Amino acid sequence: MADTINQGTRMGFLVDTSRCIGCRSCQVACKQWNKLDADKTSNKGSFENPPNLTPELYNRIKFIEKESSGEVTWRFFNERCMHCGDAGCMKVCPSPGALYRTKDGIVAHNKDKCISCKYCVSACPFNIPRYGADDKISKCHLCVGRVDGGLVPACAKACPTETLKFGNRSKLIASATAAKKTLYGENDLMGLGVVYALEGPPEQYGLPSSPSIPMSIFLWKDVIKPLGILGFWGSIGAMLLHYVTIGPKKVDDDLNSKEAGHE
Amino acid sequence: MSKYIERFSTSERVLHWIVTVSFFTLLLTGLGLYSTLFHGYFTLFGGGQNAILIHKISGILFFLSSLYMYFNHKNDVSTFDQDDKEWVKAKGGYLSRDASHFNIGKYNPGQKLFAIFIAAATLVLGMTGIFIWSPTAFPRWIVQLSLMTHGLIFVCSIMFVVVHVYLATIGNPGTIEAMLYGDVRSLWAKRHHPKWYKEVTEEKP
Repeated sequence: MADTINQGTRMGFLVDTSRCIGCRSCQVACKQWNKLDADKTSNKGSFENPPNLTPELYNRIKFIEKESSGEVTWRFFNERCMHCGDAGCMKVCPSPGALYRTKDGIVAHNKDKCISCKYCVSACPFNIPRYGADDKISKCHLCVGRVDGGLVPACAKACPTETLKFGNRSKLIASATAAKKTLYGENDLMGLGVVYALEGPPEQYGLPSSPSIPMSIFLWKDVIKPLGILGFWGSIGAMLLHYVTIGPKKVDDDLNSKEAGHE
Repeated sequence: MSKYIERFSTSERVLHWIVTVSFFTLLLTGLGLYSTLFHGYFTLFGGGQNAILIHKISGILFFLSSLYMYFNHKNDVSTFDQDDKEWVKAKGGYLSRDASHFNIGKYNPGQKLFAIFIAAATLVLGMTGIFIWSPTAFPRWIVQLSLMTHGLIFVCSIMFVVVHVYLATIGNPGTIEAMLYGDVRSLWAKRHHPKWYKEVTEEKP
């Protein structure tokens, strides 16, 4: 893997869901900074809007409404690319540079190099990448341009409650641990770039309890691919070896020996 | 006795080479998708997006021509007789330097199995190819399985094709003539496919 992260200097988010008030400033700020079009949605009886990430929506607040003993609890979850330390999308991407890791550990993308194969869609443990009208990958890139310039991502800048905290990943984790928060994504997939302090089990937020790259994708890229290259050269080697050891079946020689050379 | 006898008609040969050309087009366009190690092969086609497009077009061509070829030869390749069993038992004589003689018809069991494998592989590669063609149109799990299966069956196919090319060229001198000019030498036919040779020569008055 050409994909190495300096965990000491890695930048990331700490998302403390208990602080979120569901204002969706993050959604709006992201749209504004990244010049993303509005999506047409419809009222589904929830304040959640839109109901899913789209090519024009890099992050959104998922509203989890639960009723227990007559009381409604609301939970808010900031859904976006997790910037995995071991990123499935980068593992499968056949176009070098289309998905790349910045020195801060962010999984960024370059649409010019994307070849529209959509392998990343299948490989993502969180089903994040989207493809729009241009048929190119589209997802949160953590405002890589802002981060390079020393700013925080647009969503974090806009968040009024400090739910979205951006900074040195290990320092954010250390302070959250000191505050006795239960963290999601601290070590999964070599650490997520977006670590959550959740108020309940991950399943309540629609998250896998132990996220991983899909098994078939792992078998495809880490088992079949290398064994296949070995098998190809192995079969060529076996044929050459056969040729020089046992040798070809020569028609004439054979008939001569059998019929005492008189044809 | 005539020196040459016809093994493949012109249309059979043309069909075979359509299958061959589309297979190698699929191989060359697919290499860059297989691994970034082979990213350079994309430049042959003017970039990855073009390579994918050509992969899809040649995929359709390969799917149709390969299956058509199988059904053309279905009767010859799908049944095995007692002589074939002996060939299999002796591994076709390929693991020994000694001369071996089997009473083989038009195709030996190795060729039959190769034909059946390629037909099955064509089906699987084609079906998984549909899901990979447009991943966002299908459930993620079926695309994930398809990507893995497509890679696995490709790997098996290319290994079988290596063996096929070897046995049809330098491994069995004289064989390639059947696919190039259509005719093989009578000696070759007697040696490799005696039962077929007898059938063909006895038909003629």
